[in-house]
Amino acid sequence: MSGTALSDKVLDFIGRESSTEAEFDAMALALFAHQFENNESFRRFCLKKDRSPRVVRSWREIPPVPISAFKTLTLSCVAPERAERVFMTSGTTGGARGRCYHPTLAVYDRSMVANFRERFMRGREKIRMGILFPTEEEMPNSSLAHYLALAVSSFGTPDSEYLLNQKGLENDLLFRALDEAAATGEPYALLGATYSFVHAFDEMARAGRRYRLPAGSRVLDTGGFKGRSRDVATGEFYGRMESLLGVAASDCINMYGMTELGTQFYDDGNDRAGATKSGPHWIRTRVVNPLSGGDVPDGEQGILVHCDVANYNSAAAIMTEDVGIACHGGFVLLGRAGDEEAQGCSVAVAEFLEAARG
Amino acid sequence: MLGSRRRVPGGGKGVADVAELAGHLPGLSADSVERETLRFSAWGACAEVAVPVLAGDQLAALAAHVRQSRERFLAGLRTQEIVDILDRAVRTLLDRSNPRRRRAEELLPTVTGYDPETVRLGLTACLKTFRGAQLSAFVAEDFANPQMLDGFQPLRKGGYGRAFGPALIGHVWAGNVPGLPLWSLISGLLVKSANIGKLPSAEPLMAGWFAGAVADIEPRLADCIGIVWWKGGDEDRQQALLDEAGLVLAYGGSAALERIRARVPVATRFLPFGHKLGFGMIAAAALAADEAAGVARRAALDIVRYDQHGCYSPHVFYVERGGTVSPRAFASYLGSELAALSHRFPRRALDAEDAAGLAAARQEAEIRSAVSDSVEVAGDPEGAWRVVFAEDDPALAPGGSNRTVKVAAVDRLDAALPEIARHAPWLQTVGVAASPEELFRLSAMLGEAGASRVCALGEMTAPEAGWHHDGRFNLLDLVRIVEIERGAEAAAEDFAAYRD
Repeated sequence: MSGTALSDKVLDFIGRESSTEAEFDAMALALFAHQFENNESFRRFCLKKDRSPRVVRSWREIPPVPISAFKTLTLSCVAPERAERVFMTSGTTGGARGRCYHPTLAVYDRSMVANFRERFMRGREKIRMGILFPTEEEMPNSSLAHYLALAVSSFGTPDSEYLLNQKGLENDLLFRALDEAAATGEPYALLGATYSFVHAFDEMARAGRRYRLPAGSRVLDTGGFKGRSRDVATGEFYGRMESLLGVAASDCINMYGMTELGTQFYDDGNDRAGATKSGPHWIRTRVVNPLSGGDVPDGEQGILVHCDVANYNSAAAIMTEDVGIACHGGFVLLGRAGDEEAQGCSVAVAEFLEAARG
Repeated sequence: MLGSRRRVPGGGKGVADVAELAGHLPGLSADSVERETLRFSAWGACAEVAVPVLAGDQLAALAAHVRQSRERFLAGLRTQEIVDILDRAVRTLLDRSNPRRRRAEELLPTVTGYDPETVRLGLTACLKTFRGAQLSAFVAEDFANPQMLDGFQPLRKGGYGRAFGPALIGHVWAGNVPGLPLWSLISGLLVKSANIGKLPSAEPLMAGWFAGAVADIEPRLADCIGIVWWKGGDEDRQQALLDEAGLVLAYGGSAALERIRARVPVATRFLPFGHKLGFGMIAAAALAADEAAGVARRAALDIVRYDQHGCYSPHVFYVERGGTVSPRAFASYLGSELAALSHRFPRRALDAEDAAGLAAARQEAEIRSAVSDSVEVAGDPEGAWRVVFAEDDPALAPGGSNRTVKVAAVDRLDAALPEIARHAPWLQTVGVAASPEELFRLSAMLGEAGASRVCALGEMTAPEAGWHHDGRFNLLDLVRIVEIERGAEAAAEDFAAYRD
């Protein structure tokens, strides 16, 4: 199947109301066959694991590509220069940045819009948005910048705006936007990186400002702190949303996504600890033992492997470094891969890399 | 199987009846000390350890007590008397029927995650290096005339010298390898210093048990030892110790050591022991058909012991081409030995986050092996061990520990030296299998590159008694020499009662 024919099929699949396990299998296996045939690196990776379209019978058997592979391999079924857009990881560990090639953004966009409408908009057509992240023009290789731009263009009212510049948060813009939103009585949505919210909280506390955003207002944060702000415990983080913005924790949605995926996961509010994350019918998740790659018994911790139909050009199944536990209706995210540093007096990988970067 | 090892620090104030009391706090009444419970689980067992959390002025009180005990007792002992007491204490812990030793064998596998056999053998190997004869070797290694620790001895340049340890040494220990704190604690006692050590959260028991064993033999010596705990990053409690001590020894990662260094008073000497990166070198001469399997077995033992968490543990083996057994074949020998050893010494249990971290660390090689024939990865399907063979990649780097090792083929071992020298600050132990001529030739180059210990394969994790840790002196680095100059002695003659 050509790439275009496949992307059309994927667009159609995403457009469906739901899919059965068998339908999902068929779609995922079509992706796998396409990638096996059209990507030399991926094929060799699969053959090392004795997996090929001839023997793989379900999406669960598709060999998941570790996210670190995006740093060293070109995981694309088209020549990289033919990609409409390249998203790059932030390169927090190991220095190198992973690259994800999109021959067209149509699939990413369809996946994002359909899912965002259901999980964040919740029946509303438009909402005034404030974005705590740089624009797509400032960060052309950031999938999150594109995601947020798409949110604004698809669901934002015309007076939606970006509240930070390249140097960071624009306090005046932020305070003015929040003042206006509180005055209008119209619901307002604040979206951005988790660490930017921490910076915003700090600025608001410093300026002695507190808001009560109108009913129906909501918040979307994503990505965690990444060492770019101090770490704040989850309960305290969403507590601040309530106390400083007047947005109930139940209206604060955390999005879990990654550059290597074309589809995102959401929870349904954070009024309780350990909110369940789930995605649409075109992405499915396994919880595996990271060392053996096998499924962990029900209810045990493991790392998350996602099989995403929107990843039609790169790798259908991705092995993350995120630790989670399966639960009814999705999974609970527990943390990220630990570092063995504290255990002994032998230098750990992270410390060694840190020093090597100097 | 993914293990279920978990440590839950700060599990609660208050102490369950079953919790093992950690630490050693002479002079403080037991009911005045608040405790926090650390919970551990591994190998299907759970353990609770109640660590002491000293209140504001308690560390100062403890410091005053151990200092005073030193003045009253330890400062007046001869070194040989200290050696004798320590010898008797160590022997009680070598006795497997001793209640403390039994407790150690029972609890340490749960606390550290290492399998019971590794713990048992490791304890014995470590304690053996602190018996009387070995302690005398310690002293003799640093002092040509050990009596310098007991009184003024003639110096070669003239005059007299005597070595004094500081009144109080502060130790900040780290890591989960049982017994590691004993090296510096015993060194501190041998130079007649009072000692206060901060327990590592990952193994908060052994140091306190040792102090208890000393107390059984000679309570007055145990009164010179304080063993405390605080949660990593508790700068206030740490500062109290840094301010009291005349010398500070600290173990840990670069970032942790930097933080301590910044807070040690300027006139206090600071001896940091950072993390290290061990490796092995195997010459073609050691790869004869009848030798290679034995070499691989010894290399595998070095990998298996403490699962590469020791500063001396190997992460890379450079293997020379040109022997009867090729480097690639050696890598497969090594895999077989690791597989065989994993039955007798199962790998430490890992929790999900540690396992995920290990998997992430291992992935780079796996991905490279998928696209290049010069890299080959072999391992057990459950991830118990992993050998990466690399044809043209002498990079020296950790691979995630927990039995993850790289075999790098090189035409000549010398070829790896420029790469090795790039990592000078991380170097310490090198396990070498080579002819005697080659051993000395390589050792000269390794020393130049920054390594400080060359040993036989199979002995990487068991340094000899009296070894120069990180190339330094165990005892000499702790003392100051007080001199009586020749002139002072001559001048004193004028004032002798019996002068002519």
